[in-house]
Amino acid sequence: MPARGTPRSAAPTGDKRAPTRFGEDMLLWAAWLYYEEGLTQAEIATRIGVSRPSVNAYLADARTRGIVSIEIDPDRFRALTLSQAMQTHFGLNDCMVIPSEGNDNPLTDRLGAAAAQVLRHLTKSGETVAVTWGRTMLAMASHMSHGALRDVRIVQATGSTTAKIPWTPEACATRLAENLGARCIPLSAPAIVSTAEVRDMLLHEPVLAEQMEVLAQADRIVLGISSLRPESTIHTSGLFDEVSIRDHYHAAVGSIAGRMISANGARVDGPLEGRTIGMDLDMIRKVPERMAVAGGMDKVQAILAALRGGYVSTLVTDADTARAILTSEGYEDRPPRRPDAPSEALPERTRVKKFLNRPRDAVDEAIAGALLAHESILAPVDGAPRAIRARHGPRSGKVGLVIGGGSGHEPGFLGYVGQGMADAVAVGNIFASPPPDPILAATKAADGGTGVLHIFGNFSGDLMNFEMAAEMAEAQGIAVRTVVTTDDIASAPLDTRSARRGVAGNVFVFKVAGAACNRMLPLDKCAAIAARAADRCLTMGVALEPGASLDTGRPSFRLGPDDMEIGVGVHGEPGVARTQVKSADETADLIVDRILDEINPANGTEVALLVNSLGSTPQMELYILNRRLRRRLEAHGITVHLTLLGHYYTSLDMAGVSITVMQLDLELKELLNDPCDSPAWSRA
Amino acid sequence: MSSFTRSDLTDLFRAFAQRMAAERTLLGELDGEIGDADHGVAMADGFEAAARALANVEDENQTLGDGFTLAGQVLLNAVGATTGPLYASALTRAATTFGPVQEVPFDHLPALIPAIFEGVERRGHGKPGDKTMLDAWWPAAHVVTHESDSSSGTVECLRAAAQAAAKGAEDTRAMMASRGRAARLGPRSIGHLDPGAVSAAALLDVLASWAADHERLT
Repeated sequence: MPARGTPRSAAPTGDKRAPTRFGEDMLLWAAWLYYEEGLTQAEIATRIGVSRPSVNAYLADARTRGIVSIEIDPDRFRALTLSQAMQTHFGLNDCMVIPSEGNDNPLTDRLGAAAAQVLRHLTKSGETVAVTWGRTMLAMASHMSHGALRDVRIVQATGSTTAKIPWTPEACATRLAENLGARCIPLSAPAIVSTAEVRDMLLHEPVLAEQMEVLAQADRIVLGISSLRPESTIHTSGLFDEVSIRDHYHAAVGSIAGRMISANGARVDGPLEGRTIGMDLDMIRKVPERMAVAGGMDKVQAILAALRGGYVSTLVTDADTARAILTSEGYEDRPPRRPDAPSEALPERTRVKKFLNRPRDAVDEAIAGALLAHESILAPVDGAPRAIRARHGPRSGKVGLVIGGGSGHEPGFLGYVGQGMADAVAVGNIFASPPPDPILAATKAADGGTGVLHIFGNFSGDLMNFEMAAEMAEAQGIAVRTVVTTDDIASAPLDTRSARRGVAGNVFVFKVAGAACNRMLPLDKCAAIAARAADRCLTMGVALEPGASLDTGRPSFRLGPDDMEIGVGVHGEPGVARTQVKSADETADLIVDRILDEINPANGTEVALLVNSLGSTPQMELYILNRRLRRRLEAHGITVHLTLLGHYYTSLDMAGVSITVMQLDLELKELLNDPCDSPAWSRA
Repeated sequence: MSSFTRSDLTDLFRAFAQRMAAERTLLGELDGEIGDADHGVAMADGFEAAARALANVEDENQTLGDGFTLAGQVLLNAVGATTGPLYASALTRAATTFGPVQEVPFDHLPALIPAIFEGVERRGHGKPGDKTMLDAWWPAAHVVTHESDSSSGTVECLRAAAQAAAKGAEDTRAMMASRGRAARLGPRSIGHLDPGAVSAAALLDVLASWAADHERLT
């Protein structure tokens, strides 16, 4: 039963017997009326004809007998624990943690609104409040409303700038004073002046000296924290335009009130130090109440620096930022324990048994075994032990298809070499891109005089090595086109699709591109078809157990006994989120919901489906998942033209599954139907 | 004044290789937390292959430039991955810095650090603060180019650079990865050290102690 909070319904009167559904149990009935229907204890007393103290006793009894359990919304609960952990860890007076996800307003705006509340609550009549500048400060000032405060002075904490931004120091101070009904005291000088002498002269001017005097009396300062990341507003502030932050402030990770601080919060001196007018770091530290307002993952390092430096006594931030700051300090944020969670954890897999000789020989020995197993299809490339070609594939006039990537994905890569598929493959170490040499050797082996198409997944190593190999091939007169696959929808949002990983969708892209090359289409046409196929593949993976490194035999990351990892890639790396283990149908739903979100109706309703084991998940479980996937796709009006189910693109021995959907048009469908003969996929 | 010769280069790479072999497991574990756990293998195998190649072709006519180029090429083709192209680019840049000479004065040795920084930055298109190996190479390079003066010795300069790199590596803990495989983890990369920065700091530590030994012996 949830805690009370449902709107109160109009209470009918005169019914003093417990309704039959409560089996004459007064206790249960009282609890129901109180928690579910939202009646007061007095109303319940009238309703069931007992005294109010009896109702009170019933309710207490219902709690102790477990009829009612009170659950706090886990998100709110975590915000509370985060805020307490922040306070304890950094010795803060207060820390307000707002949810990271909220309405559509930007985080700076939501933080500003929260900070306005806190500031209005904390500020007392007669106080002097200094304020810095920036997006968040202006948002706070804008959200501030007139209270009953009297004789409050708002002082600009730094001099002014002429930058064309709305959140200048003067704008922030003026707006805050206006909305609070306070007096505004500006700092009548630029934030940065041309020389130290000018600064010293100005500070002796009576007007400025008086204003600085007020600043020194501040009871409270509200400050933003700026990172030095490229996206930070510090770069548009106009303060540092004339000097290179990189040369002069290389040790700085953040800035408060226009002063640079290091990772430990120490002052970082530079050429502007003697020319800056406004509160310096020592002055800030002396202000009794120092409220910082900042959030965002890019600011974690800067906020941490400000906390370490003692510039903050009250922090307003969001949950993700607070968690990240605490994680950097070694704090582990655990979700509240559910009452039904098993108390005994299963023994963890610490060392996984493997059929290996020397781990460092594993890749070469696996290649040797694959060449023997598939000797009618695969052949070695002379002089390049990590390149393999198709025995019947490369031929004069045909565009060559070269694929490649790290080992550990078997049948990944070499399994897709053969007639009607890739002509050659370059094989890297475990989960590591092959270097340029074998890629070049594969490219030469695949070349039939009309150019070569490179296809691989989007990883920084593969990008660099394939690019270098392509340059070398071009220098030897072989035209190369490149298609990089980006099908993993969990790895980045849709609007940054080019940042996504390329995973199991490769299987369909290799097939379609191999068929296009086999039809003797020209290089640019083959590349365009492959790019379209890649664009239409959507993949998402989940893991139940991490894979184990061949080198150490240990799992590559830790996954608790009840946890499952969402959005895993194919390199044993953790995914994008963690959740409780779900049933097969719930898992299928979770994946299919994400995929359906991105299905483009304009691309037709027919798809190819790949239900792929990430290594140690058996085929039986894949079938169970497939049953639910088909039902969901069908309900969405999607028909499945072709299904692949099994080990097609693995991550060593990870337990888990990835689902790929490729939306088909007529041409892609025909190319998928073309015959092919490769170790992992043959079609007559 | 002593000098840094082609055979010193071999010796230095042997020291790099030894240290990377010793750090292999630790680096793999660090990488497993936010990446694909291959960094220890890549660094150990790459530097071992480079050191072996340098020792094998050590002949009278090889210049320092040839040596660095060879080390870069061999390292690249031994490991691939991201480590290969990045350190290959770094060592190619070092080859240009040291040039077609058989030896340089010993106090030129620190110039290796900014050369490596520039080479890595150029190939990887990253920036300091991205939570990559640059976060160790950059503060170290800064020590060499901005903070050391001629009065302090070569070894002191290299020590200061190594310390700056170690601190830089430690500082990656609070950074969110925005390059490489860990970038896909986004916020979840915070709280973990970047393995590339840790291995870079170890290389710089080796460079400083190797130079100290070298100076003591000559």
